[in-house]
Amino acid sequence: MGSKRLWKKTRLKKSYDAVMIGGGIHGLAAAYFLARDHGITNVAVIERRYIGFGGSGRNTAIVRANQRTQGNVRLYDEGLKLWATLIRELDFNMMFYNCGNLNTLHSEAAMGAARLAVCTAQLSGVRSELLDRKQCKELIPALNIEDNITYPILGGMYHPPGGIVRHDAVAWALAKGASRYGVHIHQNTEVTNINVEKGKVTGIITNKGTLKSPRVLICAGGYGALLAQMAGIKLPIHPLTIQAMVTQPLKPILNHVISSGAYHVYANQTLKGEIATGAHMDPWPNYTTNTTPYYMKHQAEALTELLPCLKGVKFMRHWAGIADMTPDMAPILHGNDPIEGLYLDVGWGYFGFKSGPITGKYMAEYMAKARRPQILKPFSLRRFEQFRHTGETAGAFSYGPWN
Amino acid sequence: MSRLPHSPTQRIDRGKELAFSWQGRPMKGFKGDSVATAMFSNGVRIFSRSIKYHRPRGLYSLDGESANTLVNIDGECNVNAETTLLREGMRVKAQNYLGSVERDLLGIFDKFDHFMPAGFYYRKFYKPPFIWPLSVKIIRKLAGTGKIDPNKKWSKNDFQELYLNAEVAVLGGGPAGMKSALVAAEQGLRVVLFEARPWLGGFYDWRTRRYKDSEPLFERGRKLAEKVKRHQNIRVLLHTFVTNLTGDNLITAFQVGDEQAPFVQRYIEIRPTSVVVATGCTERPLIFQNNDRPGVMQATCALRLARTYGVLPGTRAVFSVGDDLGLEAAIDLHDMGLQVAAIADARQNGHDPELIQAVKERGIPLFINWAASSANGNTVVNGAVLGSLSSSESKAFPCDLLVASAGLSPVTAPLSTIGAKFTYDAHTNFFLPTELPPRVFPAGRMLGYTDPASIETSGEVSGLKAAGSCGLKTSAGKAERALQDLPGPKRGCNIVHGPHIGSGDKAFICFDEDGTYKIARQCVEQGLDLPELAKRFGVFGLGPSQGGIPNHNLPLVLGELRGTAMEGLFPTTTRSPFVPVLLATVAGPNYQIFKRTPIHRLQEKPEAIFRRTGAWQRVRYFSNDLTSRDEIMAVRNSVGIIDVSTLGKFRLFGPDALKALQRVYISDMSKVKTGRLKYSAMLNHDGMIVDDGVVTQIGDNDFYFTTSTGRAGNTVEWFRYHTRYENWEFHLVNLTDALAAINLAGPKSREVLSRLTDEDISNEAIPHMGYKELRVAGKIPVRALRVGFVGELSYELHFPASYGESLWNMLFEAGEEFGIRPFGLEAQFTLRLEKGHIIIGQDTEQRVNLLDLGLGFLWDRNDRAGKKIGAPALAFTEGQKGRLKLVGLKTDEPSQTPGDGSVIAKGDEVVGHLCSSRYSPTLRQSIAMALVVEELAQEGTRLNIYQNDHNDPMWYKATVVKMPFYDPQGKRLKE
Repeated sequence: MGSKRLWKKTRLKKSYDAVMIGGGIHGLAAAYFLARDHGITNVAVIERRYIGFGGSGRNTAIVRANQRTQGNVRLYDEGLKLWATLIRELDFNMMFYNCGNLNTLHSEAAMGAARLAVCTAQLSGVRSELLDRKQCKELIPALNIEDNITYPILGGMYHPPGGIVRHDAVAWALAKGASRYGVHIHQNTEVTNINVEKGKVTGIITNKGTLKSPRVLICAGGYGALLAQMAGIKLPIHPLTIQAMVTQPLKPILNHVISSGAYHVYANQTLKGEIATGAHMDPWPNYTTNTTPYYMKHQAEALTELLPCLKGVKFMRHWAGIADMTPDMAPILHGNDPIEGLYLDVGWGYFGFKSGPITGKYMAEYMAKARRPQILKPFSLRRFEQFRHTGETAGAFSYGPWN
Repeated sequence: MSRLPHSPTQRIDRGKELAFSWQGRPMKGFKGDSVATAMFSNGVRIFSRSIKYHRPRGLYSLDGESANTLVNIDGECNVNAETTLLREGMRVKAQNYLGSVERDLLGIFDKFDHFMPAGFYYRKFYKPPFIWPLSVKIIRKLAGTGKIDPNKKWSKNDFQELYLNAEVAVLGGGPAGMKSALVAAEQGLRVVLFEARPWLGGFYDWRTRRYKDSEPLFERGRKLAEKVKRHQNIRVLLHTFVTNLTGDNLITAFQVGDEQAPFVQRYIEIRPTSVVVATGCTERPLIFQNNDRPGVMQATCALRLARTYGVLPGTRAVFSVGDDLGLEAAIDLHDMGLQVAAIADARQNGHDPELIQAVKERGIPLFINWAASSANGNTVVNGAVLGSLSSSESKAFPCDLLVASAGLSPVTAPLSTIGAKFTYDAHTNFFLPTELPPRVFPAGRMLGYTDPASIETSGEVSGLKAAGSCGLKTSAGKAERALQDLPGPKRGCNIVHGPHIGSGDKAFICFDEDGTYKIARQCVEQGLDLPELAKRFGVFGLGPSQGGIPNHNLPLVLGELRGTAMEGLFPTTTRSPFVPVLLATVAGPNYQIFKRTPIHRLQEKPEAIFRRTGAWQRVRYFSNDLTSRDEIMAVRNSVGIIDVSTLGKFRLFGPDALKALQRVYISDMSKVKTGRLKYSAMLNHDGMIVDDGVVTQIGDNDFYFTTSTGRAGNTVEWFRYHTRYENWEFHLVNLTDALAAINLAGPKSREVLSRLTDEDISNEAIPHMGYKELRVAGKIPVRALRVGFVGELSYELHFPASYGESLWNMLFEAGEEFGIRPFGLEAQFTLRLEKGHIIIGQDTEQRVNLLDLGLGFLWDRNDRAGKKIGAPALAFTEGQKGRLKLVGLKTDEPSQTPGDGSVIAKGDEVVGHLCSSRYSPTLRQSIAMALVVEELAQEGTRLNIYQNDHNDPMWYKATVVKMPFYDPQGKRLKE
């Protein structure tokens, strides 16, 4: 029976060469690549609940590489290409459905922003196109391109290489792969403190015992800032609730990921036939995963204006997760500073799924060589004290009632 | 269509026959029937095909607990036939089959289930990789159930909203719910009672057993219902499905309208002070081979078919029950003419002796500590095998009905979403709520009570507690003591599955997604042994009816398979909506809500094109010419007029008003003078510009200022937040909606304005950046601000909103001889671009601060205290290398105009982008403002611009030039 297990059941050891706090796709990927590419196999992934409990299993599974800045596009593009490799390598079908993403545009300003993203993608070798409203309709016949809605559609940004991936499968596949290299996965294990001596990380304390480790990666999604605080690092992160929901399964009606900034809604039809949809974050920092009726109402209003045929479809499940938002909506990928051996893979907000495996790969390199890979350069923690935000969003971002 | 003789328990109206069709076949039912019972009474046994194995599925429960009865009705897909009332003319169709629903060709999948073990999705279809796209196509085609009819029309009035107010809400209109509603209402509280069925009564409604030797339960239920409905403090919402109960008792629900209702469905919200949850129990499905065969159904389903709808559920039946209600159903159905071949009762003891006696009297073979181990029959049940739970003994019976149930499951969804903790209770075999939030009170059967008197008294206890938590001095003490003297929660049957379960059995835990006991075992073997993991990996409870059927059984099964105690095993969190709800219902009437300026109506010209701008609708273009050339030229050559009422307008006064201004504005605001306007900006802590506008002084410690449209809503809070540690006395009044604003712009604007006022508006009286309060048209008090956003002589007039239309009309009339034209946001965009004036968010972004924008001159460097928001960031970044800078540029080819957002490239490296780019009709030249890397910001630098709209790649050449493009000396502003 043991041989059938996706990942091995193991005893918590007293000492590891590296410890990942958080059993989501970021931690599992970092562990996997650390073992695969750098020969560091004495690694533990510590998870408070079960693997994939947090953002990894709560997102809407969209993957794409049509971000605003070139630095971001390069990372996400490599990430997009990694799915096929990983599916082969891990021998696990993560079901990358390459359906392409259509971003509908509802204002002159949005057309301009999309033009920037399209040109940036094209110059980076990534397929992305600016469409007019009729082309949008040709792509998604159910789309309402009339002027009788709150935000009439002016055009669209189409990104053929994007799509969706079966999110839970990513966690399971990476767990399987990491375990095969000897990585330990400890579920139901809660980190209560991070030990630091003379500026160096020495290990962690969990509810099941103390572990020694010269390298610790914080990759706990929404809870990253709380963990960093255990090591005395205050991160500029606001945890915000983000909600999502699915409809009952339907025969194919939506063959692309669709998203709209003006309505603030995104939706895709999963391979099972459900329409999965999400939207904005609740704009008040908190650690709950409560759902709210107004959010479902917003989704229903937005979707039935954009895709009127969805009026006759039923929502059947609504859930929430936590997004760890930084001031510039770009992540913090940082290490050895100010504490030697302590690495951060946090602040992904709601982009943590699409970036998971590729970030794990580079964080593993970072941890193995103690040197920041070039591609992670834009994401240093120090950028905030130098007032150098990345350009992931146009507007200055801030959270809380005073903005 | 054969029905049982009339009985007072029935809910059908035999006087009203309704015609409908199933798969095109005409059928008849009665008013009061659900679509499912009408179909069943016409002999329909196979309602649907399962999602994975395409197994035939039929009636199982009657409350929509599984996907078995999902059908298409009149073009609407995934409608649950069990919870939908029959109406005349309904066209009912089956979903998701190939050929016919009775002989589904895809039923072949049932033979290949060994190719579909737990998580098979993740091991198949992708090797070699090139087959995956093909697999996707096939998977998508096979998956899903309902098919959307894209042409189905919904009327706007079909969906309504209801927002209620009451002290107590009671979820569930059974005996406990009705009792708690009554006692709370008796205290004078307003009560709303939610009931999913179209009538009250709960499980009393079909029971003929007597209440303590008095009237039959159904009669008692109907009397109680009358009392409840007549009570003036109770509002009863029937056929209303609660979808969520969240923090602080917010309830959402939707009601299905009856034929008289002016709505198809309506969305309901209420936030009562207290909630009584009396949602009762459903039957826990018994897991055994072929437990999904049409002809296998729950005990209450069988009994209700007969008692409520007058339909005998079969001719010869075998019962496998787990509680007294099961025995009761067998006896009652027997007495109504159903042949009962045998009854297996999974319990070893604890039976109601009266019922055992009744079974014996009727000569029905009774097998104690036995249960169903298999249903026979290829499509529908034609036999059943009962087996002993303690030995290998078994017995087969031919039958066309197998009534099977493992006992009861409490319906705890609302408690789950409101954050109750649950503990496994070995006595009831329930997961009982242990830690409850305040002001939420469970009652009745869900707590394990089975005795009618206990259930009713439990309802009274909760009703009184709910009243008490509303602040009334009521005590539930007496009722609680009474409850203690009544029978307590009954021992529940803890059977996990039927006897002799085989390793290859198709014993279903979840009908919706074909999740079997075997798949659960495979999940455990692979280490996915927690309900949350098994649920996702093996797929249990993720289907159209969510956790309904598998929620209680899954943790029990996993506990057994793991060989561990129930410690740490719980049903997975219930998610809202508890009942799937139409998007149309949730969306409601889809109002388009936006703010209108006081002059909005006059903007609605036939040719005007509006755009949503934040909360407002504003005119972008006044004609179909999207360059707005004529509007621009009118402002440049004569006079134009624009409604700018959306601008933020504020009065700030009080002894510390100046200090507050100094804090939030980056300039030295002590220089703000009476009669003069000062332009400045507000920054955030990172030095990014968040707002710009003008400020003037209108009295001692009294200021008036404007903000951009987008910031108007945040400004008061911004001041408050950034002065929160100061003990400053100042008052900030948001006048945005109180004042209308019109910008009268162009060389002729003074002449136009002078026709409406006798006051001196000469260049000396109101110079450029001057401010003056005037009377216009004799009495309209107007604040005239001579600002120059569009680069011409112009007067921004702020005045009471009520005069909005009048003043607009007067100005228009006065300007007629100069050819005055209204201009929109597009014209304003180009006009201000020609002047090099920024729009925040268009020409700024989070990588650039005030200095990068070339607006460093606004910064008061003498502010030694450094308390201005954003000043430390400016000091830190001054001279910092590698920042983006805002520059002006002209294209080499004057008529070529790249779009906003076009990229400035160096090879394939992005080194900047165009923020605002337009053809300037004034200069007859394309101009743009762009953000570029510092090295390219020098005047004269040559740039390559890339754009690709609609697959039409274009490269442009341009040169960095000095701004402003138009009237660099600002002569036109100052004239």
